[in-house]
Amino acid sequence: MKMNRRTFLTGAAAAGTALVLPQARPAEAAISDDSYASLIDLAKCDGCAGKKVPDCVTACGKGNESRFPRPEPEQLRDYWPQKKHEDWSKKKHLKTRFTPYNWLFVQNVEVNGQKLSIPRRCMHCDNPPCAKLCPFGVKHKTAEGPVYIDTHMCFGGAKCRTVCPWSVPQRQAGVGLYTNWQKVLPVGGGVMYKCDLCRNRLAEDKKPFCMESCPKGAMKIGKRVEIFAEAQKLKKQYNGHLYGMKENGGTSTVYVSRVPFEQINKAILATKSSKNKKPTPMHKPENMLDKQTIWSKASLAAPAVGALAAFFAAGSKAEKEGDK
Amino acid sequence: METVKRHSVTVRLNHWAIAVSGIFLLFSGFGQMPMYKRYNIVKIPGLAWSSNYEITLLMHYVAAALFGAAVLYHIIYHFRRKEFGILPKKGDVGEAIAGFKAMLGRDEEPAHGKFQAKQRVIYAIMGSASLALLLTGLVKSYKNLGNIVIDHMLLEAITLAHTIFGMLFMMLFLAHVGALLLKNHRPLIPSMFSGRISKEYADHHHPKWDPGKE
Repeated sequence: MKMNRRTFLTGAAAAGTALVLPQARPAEAAISDDSYASLIDLAKCDGCAGKKVPDCVTACGKGNESRFPRPEPEQLRDYWPQKKHEDWSKKKHLKTRFTPYNWLFVQNVEVNGQKLSIPRRCMHCDNPPCAKLCPFGVKHKTAEGPVYIDTHMCFGGAKCRTVCPWSVPQRQAGVGLYTNWQKVLPVGGGVMYKCDLCRNRLAEDKKPFCMESCPKGAMKIGKRVEIFAEAQKLKKQYNGHLYGMKENGGTSTVYVSRVPFEQINKAILATKSSKNKKPTPMHKPENMLDKQTIWSKASLAAPAVGALAAFFAAGSKAEKEGDK
Repeated sequence: METVKRHSVTVRLNHWAIAVSGIFLLFSGFGQMPMYKRYNIVKIPGLAWSSNYEITLLMHYVAAALFGAAVLYHIIYHFRRKEFGILPKKGDVGEAIAGFKAMLGRDEEPAHGKFQAKQRVIYAIMGSASLALLLTGLVKSYKNLGNIVIDHMLLEAITLAHTIFGMLFMMLFLAHVGALLLKNHRPLIPSMFSGRISKEYADHHHPKWDPGKE
Protein backbone atom coordinates (compact mmCIF):
# COMPACT_ATOMS: atom_id res chain seq x y z
CA MET A 1 0.00 0.00 0.00
CA LYS A 2 1.31 3.41 -0.92
CA MET A 3 1.84 5.61 2.12
CA ASN A 4 0.52 9.11 1.57
CA ARG A 5 -0.18 11.86 4.10
CA ARG A 6 -3.78 10.78 4.64
CA THR A 7 -3.01 7.11 5.28
CA PHE A 8 -0.12 8.10 7.53
CA LEU A 9 -2.33 10.44 9.57
CA THR A 10 -5.05 7.81 9.87
CA GLY A 11 -2.53 5.22 11.03
CA ALA A 12 -0.88 7.60 13.46
CA ALA A 13 -4.24 8.57 14.94
CA ALA A 14 -5.24 4.93 15.36
CA ALA A 15 -1.89 4.12 16.98
CA GLY A 16 -2.25 7.10 19.29
CA THR A 17 -5.73 6.00 20.26
CA ALA A 18 -4.53 2.50 21.09
CA LEU A 19 -1.71 3.88 23.23
CA VAL A 20 -3.81 6.39 25.10
CA LEU A 21 -6.83 4.22 25.83
CA PRO A 22 -6.71 2.54 29.21
CA GLN A 23 -7.02 -1.20 28.92
CA ALA A 24 -10.45 -1.30 30.52
CA ARG A 25 -11.49 -4.71 31.76
CA PRO A 26 -15.04 -5.92 32.23
CA ALA A 27 -16.36 -4.65 35.56
CA GLU A 28 -16.84 -8.17 36.85
CA ALA A 29 -13.19 -9.04 36.24
CA ALA A 30 -11.83 -5.75 37.53
CA ILE A 31 -13.29 -5.90 41.02
CA SER A 32 -11.13 -7.60 43.62
CA ASP A 33 -11.90 -11.19 44.59
CA ASP A 34 -11.18 -10.15 48.17
CA SER A 35 -13.84 -7.43 48.20
CA TYR A 36 -17.09 -8.04 50.06
CA ALA A 37 -20.09 -9.65 48.42
CA SER A 38 -23.29 -10.89 49.96
CA LEU A 39 -25.68 -13.72 49.29
CA ILE A 40 -29.43 -13.73 49.88
CA ASP A 41 -30.99 -17.18 49.84
CA LEU A 42 -34.69 -16.88 48.98
CA ALA A 43 -35.17 -20.57 49.74
CA LYS A 44 -34.38 -19.80 53.38
CA CYS A 45 -36.01 -16.37 53.88
CA ASP A 46 -39.63 -16.54 55.10
CA GLY A 47 -39.92 -12.81 55.81
CA CYS A 48 -40.02 -13.65 59.56
CA ALA A 49 -43.49 -15.15 59.21
CA GLY A 50 -45.84 -14.07 61.99
CA LYS A 51 -43.91 -10.89 62.74
CA LYS A 52 -45.25 -7.49 61.68
CA VAL A 53 -41.80 -6.35 60.60
CA PRO A 54 -39.03 -8.78 59.60
CA ASP A 55 -36.07 -8.90 62.00
CA CYS A 56 -33.58 -7.70 59.39
CA VAL A 57 -35.65 -4.57 58.72
CA THR A 58 -36.02 -3.84 62.44
CA ALA A 59 -32.30 -4.38 63.08
CA CYS A 60 -31.30 -2.14 60.16
CA GLY A 61 -33.58 0.65 61.43
CA LYS A 62 -32.40 0.39 65.03
CA GLY A 63 -28.74 0.00 64.19
CA ASN A 64 -28.66 2.95 61.80
CA GLU A 65 -31.06 5.23 63.68
CA SER A 66 -28.32 7.70 64.64
CA ARG A 67 -27.59 8.22 60.94
CA PHE A 68 -31.16 9.03 59.95
CA PRO A 69 -32.00 12.63 58.94
CA ARG A 70 -33.36 15.11 61.47
CA PRO A 71 -34.82 18.02 59.50
CA GLU A 72 -35.61 21.35 61.13
CA PRO A 73 -39.29 22.17 60.40
CA GLU A 74 -38.46 25.66 59.09
CA GLN A 75 -36.05 24.12 56.56
CA LEU A 76 -38.76 21.99 54.96
CA ARG A 77 -39.45 24.19 51.95
CA ASP A 78 -40.72 23.46 48.45
CA TYR A 79 -38.13 22.97 45.73
CA TRP A 80 -38.71 26.23 43.88
CA PRO A 81 -40.20 26.52 41.26
CA GLN A 82 -41.83 23.16 42.06
CA LYS A 83 -44.64 23.14 44.59
CA LYS A 84 -43.40 20.10 46.46
CA HIS A 85 -40.63 18.72 48.61
CA GLU A 86 -39.78 15.25 49.85
CA ASP A 87 -40.32 14.86 53.55
CA TRP A 88 -40.37 11.37 55.02
CA SER A 89 -39.83 12.47 58.62
CA LYS A 90 -43.50 11.90 59.45
CA LYS A 91 -43.52 8.51 57.73
CA LYS A 92 -40.73 6.85 59.63
CA HIS A 93 -43.04 3.92 60.33
CA LEU A 94 -43.08 2.91 56.64
CA LYS A 95 -41.26 -0.41 56.38
CA THR A 96 -42.49 -1.67 53.01
CA ARG A 97 -40.44 0.54 50.68
CA PHE A 98 -37.19 2.49 50.52
CA THR A 99 -37.26 5.76 52.43
CA PRO A 100 -34.49 7.87 54.02
CA TYR A 101 -35.53 6.09 57.25
CA ASN A 102 -35.80 2.58 55.82
CA TRP A 103 -32.87 1.26 53.83
CA LEU A 104 -34.09 -2.34 53.68
CA PHE A 105 -37.53 -3.86 53.21
CA VAL A 106 -38.96 -7.27 52.40
CA GLN A 107 -41.21 -7.83 49.39
CA ASN A 108 -43.77 -10.59 49.72
CA VAL A 109 -45.03 -12.16 46.51
CA GLU A 110 -46.66 -15.39 45.44
CA VAL A 111 -45.43 -17.28 42.37
CA ASN A 112 -47.35 -20.39 41.27
CA GLY A 113 -48.80 -20.80 44.74
CA GLN A 114 -45.36 -20.48 46.38
CA LYS A 115 -44.88 -17.63 48.86
CA LEU A 116 -41.62 -15.75 48.52
CA SER A 117 -40.06 -13.11 50.79
CA ILE A 118 -37.38 -10.98 49.14
CA PRO A 119 -35.17 -8.68 51.22
CA ARG A 120 -34.42 -5.59 49.10
CA ARG A 121 -31.61 -3.10 49.66
CA CYS A 122 -28.81 -1.50 47.65
CA MET A 123 -27.15 -4.09 45.36
CA HIS A 124 -23.73 -2.34 45.63
CA CYS A 125 -23.08 -2.45 41.88
CA ASP A 126 -19.61 -2.99 40.44
CA ASN A 127 -19.83 0.09 38.21
CA PRO A 128 -22.63 2.02 39.91
CA PRO A 129 -24.18 4.78 37.75
CA CYS A 130 -25.52 6.38 40.95
CA ALA A 131 -21.98 6.94 42.24
CA LYS A 132 -20.17 7.51 38.95
CA LEU A 133 -22.67 10.09 37.72
CA CYS A 134 -23.11 12.00 40.98
CA PRO A 135 -22.64 15.62 39.82
CA PHE A 136 -20.84 16.48 43.05
CA GLY A 137 -18.78 13.30 43.29
CA VAL A 138 -20.04 12.60 46.80
CA LYS A 139 -21.19 9.03 46.23
CA HIS A 140 -18.47 6.41 46.11
CA LYS A 141 -17.79 2.83 45.16
CA THR A 142 -15.21 1.46 47.55
CA ALA A 143 -12.54 -1.09 46.71
CA GLU A 144 -14.02 -3.17 49.55
CA GLY A 145 -17.35 -3.43 47.72
CA PRO A 146 -19.91 -1.12 49.41
CA VAL A 147 -21.28 1.96 47.68
CA TYR A 148 -21.86 4.83 50.11
CA ILE A 149 -23.02 8.45 50.14
CA ASP A 150 -21.02 11.24 51.77
CA THR A 151 -24.15 12.67 53.39
CA HIS A 152 -22.26 15.72 54.69
CA MET A 153 -21.55 16.86 51.11
CA CYS A 154 -24.71 15.64 49.34
CA PHE A 155 -26.96 18.31 47.74
CA GLY A 156 -29.92 15.96 47.25
CA GLY A 157 -30.36 16.41 43.50
CA ALA A 158 -31.75 12.86 43.43
CA LYS A 159 -30.07 12.03 40.13
CA CYS A 160 -28.71 8.89 41.80
CA ARG A 161 -32.27 7.67 42.39
CA THR A 162 -33.16 8.23 38.73
CA VAL A 163 -30.15 6.38 37.34
CA CYS A 164 -30.43 3.50 39.83
CA PRO A 165 -32.39 0.69 38.12
CA TRP A 166 -34.02 -0.08 41.47
CA SER A 167 -34.47 3.56 42.68
CA VAL A 168 -32.72 2.71 45.93
CA PRO A 169 -31.43 6.12 47.19
CA GLN A 170 -34.16 8.24 48.75
CA ARG A 171 -34.23 11.96 49.48
CA GLN A 172 -35.03 13.83 52.65
CA ALA A 173 -35.62 17.58 52.40
CA GLY A 174 -34.61 20.09 55.05
CA VAL A 175 -31.20 18.59 55.88
CA GLY A 176 -27.68 18.92 54.54
CA LEU A 177 -25.52 21.53 52.86
CA TYR A 178 -28.27 23.20 50.83
CA THR A 179 -30.04 24.40 53.98
CA ASN A 180 -27.28 27.03 54.27
CA TRP A 181 -28.47 28.86 51.16
CA GLN A 182 -31.88 27.55 50.09
CA LYS A 183 -33.61 30.71 51.39
CA VAL A 184 -31.74 32.87 48.86
CA LEU A 185 -30.64 30.37 46.21
CA PRO A 186 -33.06 27.57 45.25
CA VAL A 187 -30.42 24.93 44.52
CA GLY A 188 -30.35 21.47 46.11
CA GLY A 189 -33.07 19.39 47.66
CA GLY A 190 -31.78 17.68 50.79
CA VAL A 191 -29.67 14.58 51.28
CA MET A 192 -29.89 11.11 49.72
CA TYR A 193 -29.86 8.05 51.97
CA LYS A 194 -29.41 4.34 51.35
CA CYS A 195 -27.79 1.15 52.66
CA ASP A 196 -23.98 1.25 52.79
CA LEU A 197 -23.69 -2.43 53.78
CA CYS A 198 -22.78 -1.20 57.30
CA ARG A 199 -19.29 -0.54 55.98
CA ASN A 200 -18.10 0.83 59.31
CA ARG A 201 -19.10 -2.45 60.95
CA LEU A 202 -17.37 -4.42 58.20
CA ALA A 203 -14.20 -2.45 58.95
CA GLU A 204 -14.49 -3.76 62.54
CA ASP A 205 -15.00 -7.32 61.30
CA LYS A 206 -18.66 -7.21 62.27
CA LYS A 207 -21.57 -8.28 60.07
CA PRO A 208 -24.17 -5.80 58.80
CA PHE A 209 -27.11 -5.43 61.23
CA CYS A 210 -29.55 -7.18 58.87
CA MET A 211 -27.40 -10.28 58.49
CA GLU A 212 -26.56 -10.50 62.16
CA SER A 213 -30.26 -10.51 63.07
CA CYS A 214 -31.56 -12.96 60.45
CA PRO A 215 -33.03 -15.97 62.33
CA LYS A 216 -32.90 -18.19 59.23
CA GLY A 217 -29.35 -17.47 58.17
CA ALA A 218 -30.73 -16.42 54.78
CA MET A 219 -28.14 -13.69 54.30
CA LYS A 220 -24.42 -14.11 54.20
CA ILE A 221 -21.43 -11.85 53.60
CA GLY A 222 -17.86 -12.76 52.74
CA LYS A 223 -15.14 -12.58 50.14
CA ARG A 224 -16.56 -12.07 46.68
CA VAL A 225 -14.89 -15.12 45.20
CA GLU A 226 -16.23 -17.36 47.99
CA ILE A 227 -19.74 -15.91 48.00
CA PHE A 228 -20.04 -16.24 44.23
CA ALA A 229 -18.78 -19.83 44.42
CA GLU A 230 -21.36 -20.61 47.12
CA ALA A 231 -24.09 -19.00 45.03
CA GLN A 232 -23.20 -21.25 42.09
CA LYS A 233 -23.20 -24.27 44.40
CA LEU A 234 -26.65 -23.41 45.76
CA LYS A 235 -27.95 -22.80 42.27
CA LYS A 236 -26.91 -26.32 41.35
CA GLN A 237 -28.28 -27.75 44.58
CA TYR A 238 -31.68 -26.05 44.14
CA ASN A 239 -31.69 -26.46 40.39
CA GLY A 240 -32.31 -22.79 40.82
CA HIS A 241 -31.50 -19.31 39.56
CA LEU A 242 -29.20 -16.37 40.36
CA TYR A 243 -29.83 -12.63 40.33
CA GLY A 244 -27.27 -9.86 40.77
CA MET A 245 -24.12 -11.24 39.17
CA LYS A 246 -24.86 -9.78 35.74
CA GLU A 247 -27.64 -7.28 36.36
CA ASN A 248 -26.63 -3.63 35.87
CA GLY A 249 -23.22 -4.87 34.74
CA GLY A 250 -22.65 -6.94 37.90
CA THR A 251 -23.18 -6.24 41.58
CA SER A 252 -21.86 -7.31 44.97
CA THR A 253 -25.18 -8.93 45.90
CA VAL A 254 -26.39 -12.32 44.68
CA TYR A 255 -29.88 -13.69 45.19
CA VAL A 256 -30.42 -17.45 44.91
CA SER A 257 -33.90 -18.77 44.24
CA ARG A 258 -35.68 -21.95 43.23
CA VAL A 259 -38.12 -19.82 41.24
CA PRO A 260 -36.98 -18.08 38.04
CA PHE A 261 -36.47 -14.34 38.54
CA GLU A 262 -38.50 -13.54 35.43
CA GLN A 263 -41.52 -15.02 37.22
CA ILE A 264 -40.63 -13.25 40.46
CA ASN A 265 -40.36 -9.94 38.62
CA LYS A 266 -43.74 -10.53 36.98
CA ALA A 267 -45.28 -11.18 40.39
CA ILE A 268 -43.63 -8.05 41.84
CA LEU A 269 -44.92 -5.85 39.03
CA ALA A 270 -48.40 -7.32 39.56
CA THR A 271 -48.38 -5.84 43.08
CA LYS A 272 -48.66 -2.39 41.49
CA SER A 273 -51.54 -0.60 43.18
CA SER A 274 -52.64 2.92 44.02
CA LYS A 275 -50.48 2.80 47.15
CA ASN A 276 -47.52 1.03 45.56
CA LYS A 277 -47.18 2.75 42.19
CA LYS A 278 -43.63 1.67 41.44
CA PRO A 279 -42.81 -1.67 43.06
CA THR A 280 -39.03 -2.29 43.15
CA PRO A 281 -38.48 -4.69 40.22
CA MET A 282 -36.20 -7.70 39.77
CA HIS A 283 -35.66 -7.07 36.08
CA LYS A 284 -32.52 -7.36 33.93
CA PRO A 285 -31.20 -3.80 33.69
CA GLU A 286 -28.24 -3.02 31.45
CA ASN A 287 -25.65 -0.70 32.97
CA MET A 288 -26.09 2.74 31.39
CA LEU A 289 -22.36 3.49 31.73
CA ASP A 290 -21.32 0.21 30.11
CA LYS A 291 -23.63 1.00 27.18
CA GLN A 292 -21.64 4.16 26.47
CA THR A 293 -18.12 2.85 27.11
CA ILE A 294 -17.11 3.43 23.50
CA TRP A 295 -18.00 7.14 23.78
CA SER A 296 -16.18 7.47 27.06
CA LYS A 297 -13.10 5.99 25.39
CA ALA A 298 -13.56 8.32 22.41
CA SER A 299 -13.55 11.34 24.72
CA LEU A 300 -10.32 10.04 26.30
CA ALA A 301 -8.56 9.42 23.01
CA ALA A 302 -9.72 12.52 21.15
CA PRO A 303 -7.12 14.98 22.57
CA ALA A 304 -4.29 12.70 21.40
CA VAL A 305 -5.87 12.40 17.96
CA GLY A 306 -6.26 16.18 17.76
CA ALA A 307 -2.65 16.72 18.80
CA LEU A 308 -1.34 14.23 16.25
CA ALA A 309 -3.44 15.70 13.46
CA ALA A 310 -2.20 19.22 14.31
CA PHE A 311 1.40 18.08 14.48
CA PHE A 312 1.31 16.90 10.89
CA ALA A 313 -1.11 19.51 9.55
CA ALA A 314 0.93 22.45 10.89
CA GLY A 315 3.97 21.35 8.95
CA SER A 316 2.20 20.40 5.75
CA LYS A 317 3.01 22.01 2.42
CA ALA A 318 -0.63 22.88 1.74
CA GLU A 319 -0.93 24.70 5.07
CA LYS A 320 2.20 26.74 4.40
CA GLU A 321 0.96 27.66 0.94
CA GLY A 322 -2.40 28.63 2.41
CA ASP A 323 -0.66 31.29 4.46
CA LYS A 324 0.49 33.14 1.40
CA MET B 1 -14.68 47.62 0.60
CA GLU B 2 -11.03 46.74 0.94
CA THR B 3 -10.43 43.85 3.36
CA VAL B 4 -7.48 42.12 4.99
CA LYS B 5 -7.12 38.46 5.97
CA ARG B 6 -7.36 37.94 9.73
CA HIS B 7 -7.94 34.18 10.23
CA SER B 8 -7.07 31.14 8.08
CA VAL B 9 -9.57 28.36 7.29
CA THR B 10 -7.86 26.14 9.86
CA VAL B 11 -8.19 28.73 12.61
CA ARG B 12 -11.84 29.34 11.77
CA LEU B 13 -12.71 25.63 11.71
CA ASN B 14 -10.86 25.15 14.98
CA HIS B 15 -12.71 28.08 16.54
CA TRP B 16 -16.12 26.76 15.49
CA ALA B 17 -15.30 23.23 16.64
CA ILE B 18 -14.55 24.62 20.11
CA ALA B 19 -17.58 26.93 20.05
CA VAL B 20 -20.10 24.28 18.93
CA SER B 21 -18.74 21.58 21.26
CA GLY B 22 -18.65 24.16 24.07
CA ILE B 23 -22.34 24.94 23.62
CA PHE B 24 -23.27 21.24 23.65
CA LEU B 25 -21.00 20.61 26.65
CA LEU B 26 -22.62 23.43 28.62
CA PHE B 27 -26.14 22.26 27.74
CA SER B 28 -25.48 18.59 28.52
CA GLY B 29 -23.39 19.48 31.57
CA PHE B 30 -26.23 21.42 33.13
CA GLY B 31 -28.49 18.52 32.19
CA GLN B 32 -26.27 16.25 34.25
CA MET B 33 -26.32 18.62 37.23
CA PRO B 34 -29.45 17.87 37.36
CA MET B 35 -31.50 20.96 36.57
CA TYR B 36 -33.87 20.58 33.66
CA LYS B 37 -36.72 18.74 35.36
CA ARG B 38 -36.71 20.89 38.48
CA TYR B 39 -36.51 24.19 36.62
CA ASN B 40 -39.14 23.13 34.04
CA ILE B 41 -36.82 23.14 31.01
CA VAL B 42 -38.48 19.81 30.12
CA LYS B 43 -41.74 21.69 29.66
CA ILE B 44 -40.31 23.79 26.81
CA PRO B 45 -41.68 22.27 23.59
CA GLY B 46 -39.09 19.97 22.04
CA LEU B 47 -36.97 19.68 25.18
CA ALA B 48 -38.83 16.93 27.03
CA TRP B 49 -35.80 14.68 26.44
CA SER B 50 -33.43 17.06 28.25
CA SER B 51 -33.88 15.38 31.65
CA ASN B 52 -32.87 12.00 30.21
CA TYR B 53 -29.42 11.39 31.70
CA GLU B 54 -28.48 8.77 29.11
CA ILE B 55 -29.04 11.25 26.28
CA THR B 56 -27.22 14.14 27.95
CA LEU B 57 -24.33 11.83 28.95
CA LEU B 58 -23.94 10.65 25.36
CA MET B 59 -24.10 14.27 24.19
CA HIS B 60 -21.46 15.24 26.76
CA TYR B 61 -19.09 12.43 25.68
CA VAL B 62 -19.42 13.24 21.96
CA ALA B 63 -19.03 16.99 22.50
CA ALA B 64 -16.10 16.36 24.88
CA ALA B 65 -14.35 14.32 22.18
CA LEU B 66 -14.69 17.20 19.71
CA PHE B 67 -13.69 19.78 22.33
CA GLY B 68 -10.64 17.79 23.48
CA ALA B 69 -9.48 17.17 19.92
CA ALA B 70 -9.99 20.84 18.96
CA VAL B 71 -8.22 22.24 22.05
CA LEU B 72 -5.16 20.02 21.56
CA TYR B 73 -5.20 20.73 17.82
CA HIS B 74 -5.16 24.46 18.60
CA ILE B 75 -2.25 24.16 21.04
CA ILE B 76 -0.02 21.91 18.90
CA TYR B 77 -0.86 23.66 15.62
CA HIS B 78 0.10 27.14 16.81
CA PHE B 79 3.04 25.86 18.83
CA ARG B 80 4.52 24.17 15.75
CA ARG B 81 3.97 27.29 13.68
CA LYS B 82 5.45 29.46 16.43
CA GLU B 83 2.32 31.63 16.51
CA PHE B 84 2.19 33.05 20.00
CA GLY B 85 0.58 36.42 19.26
CA ILE B 86 -2.45 35.73 21.45
CA LEU B 87 -0.44 34.82 24.57
CA PRO B 88 -0.37 37.56 27.23
CA LYS B 89 2.67 39.85 27.29
CA LYS B 90 4.21 41.99 30.01
CA GLY B 91 2.01 45.02 30.73
CA ASP B 92 -1.10 43.41 29.21
CA VAL B 93 -3.15 43.56 32.42
CA GLY B 94 -2.79 47.36 32.66
CA GLU B 95 -3.47 47.79 28.96
CA ALA B 96 -6.45 45.44 29.19
CA ILE B 97 -7.94 47.60 31.96
CA ALA B 98 -7.53 50.66 29.72
CA GLY B 99 -9.15 48.66 26.92
CA PHE B 100 -12.15 47.78 29.09
CA LYS B 101 -12.48 51.45 30.09
CA ALA B 102 -12.40 52.38 26.40
CA MET B 103 -15.21 49.88 25.78
CA LEU B 104 -17.26 51.88 28.26
CA GLY B 105 -16.21 55.16 26.62
CA ARG B 106 -14.10 56.25 29.61
CA ASP B 107 -10.67 56.06 28.05
CA GLU B 108 -8.85 56.27 24.73
CA GLU B 109 -8.46 52.86 23.02
CA PRO B 110 -4.75 51.88 23.10
CA ALA B 111 -3.02 51.13 19.79
CA HIS B 112 -3.17 47.35 19.21
CA GLY B 113 -1.39 44.68 17.23
CA LYS B 114 -3.38 41.76 15.77
CA PHE B 115 -4.88 41.07 19.18
CA GLN B 116 -5.85 43.56 21.87
CA ALA B 117 -4.33 43.23 25.34
CA LYS B 118 -7.76 42.44 26.79
CA GLN B 119 -8.22 39.72 24.19
CA ARG B 120 -4.90 38.19 25.22
CA VAL B 121 -5.81 38.33 28.93
CA ILE B 122 -9.29 36.84 28.34
CA TYR B 123 -7.71 34.18 26.11
CA ALA B 124 -5.36 33.18 28.91
CA ILE B 125 -8.24 32.88 31.39
CA MET B 126 -10.53 31.02 28.98
CA GLY B 127 -7.69 28.80 27.83
CA SER B 128 -6.82 27.91 31.42
CA ALA B 129 -10.47 27.16 32.22
CA SER B 130 -10.71 25.00 29.08
CA LEU B 131 -7.60 23.04 30.01
CA ALA B 132 -8.83 22.57 33.58
CA LEU B 133 -12.18 21.34 32.25
CA LEU B 134 -10.44 19.01 29.84
CA LEU B 135 -8.13 17.50 32.46
CA THR B 136 -10.83 17.04 35.12
CA GLY B 137 -13.22 15.78 32.43
CA LEU B 138 -10.72 13.13 31.33
CA VAL B 139 -10.57 11.78 34.88
CA LYS B 140 -14.37 11.79 35.06
CA SER B 141 -14.62 9.87 31.77
CA TYR B 142 -11.94 7.41 32.81
CA LYS B 143 -13.60 6.47 36.10
CA ASN B 144 -16.77 5.51 34.21
CA LEU B 145 -14.90 2.65 32.51
CA GLY B 146 -15.87 -0.25 34.75
CA ASN B 147 -14.84 -0.88 38.32
CA ILE B 148 -12.33 1.94 38.67
CA VAL B 149 -11.93 3.32 42.18
CA ILE B 150 -10.34 6.76 42.56
CA ASP B 151 -9.39 8.25 45.92
CA HIS B 152 -12.66 9.65 47.25
CA MET B 153 -11.36 13.05 48.38
CA LEU B 154 -9.53 13.50 45.08
CA LEU B 155 -12.66 12.60 43.12
CA GLU B 156 -14.77 15.07 45.11
CA ALA B 157 -12.15 17.80 44.46
CA ILE B 158 -11.94 16.98 40.73
CA THR B 159 -15.73 16.93 40.38
CA LEU B 160 -16.09 20.24 42.22
CA ALA B 161 -13.31 21.81 40.10
CA HIS B 162 -15.04 20.58 36.90
CA THR B 163 -18.29 22.22 38.02
CA ILE B 164 -16.65 25.52 39.04
CA PHE B 165 -14.58 25.78 35.84
CA GLY B 166 -17.73 24.89 33.88
CA MET B 167 -19.50 27.89 35.43
CA LEU B 168 -16.48 30.11 34.69
CA PHE B 169 -16.36 28.83 31.12
CA MET B 170 -20.06 29.63 30.67
CA MET B 171 -19.60 33.18 31.99
CA LEU B 172 -16.57 33.79 29.75
CA PHE B 173 -18.42 32.29 26.79
CA LEU B 174 -21.35 34.67 27.34
CA ALA B 175 -18.95 37.61 27.87
CA HIS B 176 -17.16 36.71 24.60
CA VAL B 177 -20.42 36.69 22.64
CA GLY B 178 -21.65 39.82 24.46
CA ALA B 179 -18.44 41.75 23.71
CA LEU B 180 -18.73 40.95 20.00
CA LEU B 181 -22.18 42.49 19.95
CA LEU B 182 -20.76 45.85 21.08
CA LYS B 183 -20.70 48.36 18.23
CA ASN B 184 -16.91 48.75 18.38
CA HIS B 185 -16.29 45.01 17.99
CA ARG B 186 -19.02 44.08 15.50
CA PRO B 187 -16.75 44.54 12.43
CA LEU B 188 -14.63 41.65 13.79
CA ILE B 189 -17.50 39.17 13.46
CA PRO B 190 -16.96 38.47 9.70
CA SER B 191 -13.39 37.36 10.48
CA MET B 192 -14.73 34.11 11.93
CA PHE B 193 -16.85 33.41 8.85
CA SER B 194 -15.02 34.76 5.80
CA GLY B 195 -11.69 35.15 7.56
CA ARG B 196 -11.45 38.81 6.51
CA ILE B 197 -12.20 42.19 8.07
CA SER B 198 -12.33 45.69 6.66
CA LYS B 199 -8.91 47.26 6.13
CA GLU B 200 -10.21 50.56 7.48
CA TYR B 201 -11.24 48.88 10.75
CA ALA B 202 -7.89 47.08 10.98
CA ASP B 203 -5.92 50.29 10.37
CA HIS B 204 -7.97 52.18 12.93
CA HIS B 205 -8.24 49.59 15.73
CA HIS B 206 -5.14 47.46 15.16
CA PRO B 207 -2.57 50.02 13.86
CA LYS B 208 0.37 47.90 15.02
CA TRP B 209 -0.80 44.86 13.04
CA ASP B 210 0.66 44.22 9.60
CA PRO B 211 -1.43 41.46 7.92
CA GLY B 212 1.08 41.29 5.08
CA LYS B 213 3.77 39.96 7.42
CA GLU B 214 1.76 36.88 8.46
